[in-house]
Amino acid sequence: MSDFDQIIVGEEWDSSDLSLLETLDHVLNRGLVIAGEITISVADIDLIFIGLNVLVSSVETAHEVLRKRETE
Amino acid sequence: MKLYTYCFAESLNGLNNPPRGVSGAPVRLLKIDGIAVLASITNGFRPTQNDFIAHAAVVRSVFKQAKSILPFRFGQILTEPHLRNYVSRHRQAIKANFAHLRGCAEMNVRMIGTRENAPPPIVNTDKPVGPGTRFLLDKRREFRGDEWQAARRAELSEWFTEKLGQLKRDEKINVIPSDRIIIARADHLIERGRIPDYRAKMAGAIEERPEWRFMVSGPWPPYSFANIELEFGSQFGVS
Amino acid sequence: MTFSPENPQSVEPEVDTSHVEEFVEQLRCVTDTLPSRINIDAASVEQGLAKLVLTLIEFIRRLLEKQAVRRMEGGDLSPEQIEELGLALMKLEAKLQELKSQFGLDDEDLNLDLGPIGRLI
Repeated sequence: MSDFDQIIVGEEWDSSDLSLLETLDHVLNRGLVIAGEITISVADIDLIFIGLNVLVSSVETAHEVLRKRETE
Repeated sequence: MKLYTYCFAESLNGLNNPPRGVSGAPVRLLKIDGIAVLASITNGFRPTQNDFIAHAAVVRSVFKQAKSILPFRFGQILTEPHLRNYVSRHRQAIKANFAHLRGCAEMNVRMIGTRENAPPPIVNTDKPVGPGTRFLLDKRREFRGDEWQAARRAELSEWFTEKLGQLKRDEKINVIPSDRIIIARADHLIERGRIPDYRAKMAGAIEERPEWRFMVSGPWPPYSFANIELEFGSQFGVS
Repeated sequence: MTFSPENPQSVEPEVDTSHVEEFVEQLRCVTDTLPSRINIDAASVEQGLAKLVLTLIEFIRRLLEKQAVRRMEGGDLSPEQIEELGLALMKLEAKLQELKSQFGLDDEDLNLDLGPIGRLI
């Protein structure tokens, strides 16, 4: 069982909110888009882009994700 | 008076139905040494989400109409002499970039998963780790991070090559430094006509890794492959 | 210390950390013995000496960190030993940080160029 089961799986997501988030991701220099700054709700899941533009399902930075889920 | 710049374009003499630009300003087309530059006149402004959307809309509009496009990210403001100077000096490189990107779009894959054959964890984290242990784990990441990052990038690139073959004309991979986990984003430059093929191949690849999570999106204008902002240093309002 | 004559940059100093508890105890002593402040005129000759001393301590501290990480990776330390080692090194780092900032020194300032051996840090 994956540790990352909150993440959207597999299929392409057509929601216009997600398109907006993706659009912002392309247009903005990544340094601007940090956890918490841009939050858009899509079907009850808050999508937040972190510095590396990875999609996660809660307010976490990449390092926090690793700390919690990566057994080092 | 300055120019807020959206993109460079190849073989474009006018923009049909141009959307409004940032701050509601009209979008203008300048030709510099035969290269089309799309820009709006500005005296500076505080960007809002609508401006980000406007920027994207202008770039998308040009992407549909021009033979090739080098998009800027948000926030590039230049004086006209600076812009002219830049285009003249880099004309050959710009044309080479046009050729490289012509007829292509950008597709993105984001992924999260545990590496196959990940080494065992250094420390058992069933219980929360103490500050001393945390300190050493962070130091470990500091010492080994670059090596991990390079290794993960190479593995992913190989995997994409195996799954996509010649489909990917160019590739950029951003990945978190880790020896156990993949959190990554891949940007692929794909010929527009072959995007359905790309999607089908990615769908197949994704099925082979049910423990991972993926998100594929696109097609996008080729923001990740334009390679122009590097010359301009930091953009306004962005560090 | 082992130097390789063919490649003078491959210095791999090792400090004996086979007895972790004793080593941790020694780290604590060093940390406690270091002054929290060094009262030297900013412009004085002694500042050069203080910089040198701090640089050497920093160098050794970083070696110890790297070695501690290797021991941790080696898998032969208990979770308690790892925690104690980490805490001791953490406190030493903090102590050095205080001293460095007292002099307004950052890592670049501390970095000595040793010519063929390369930069110290």
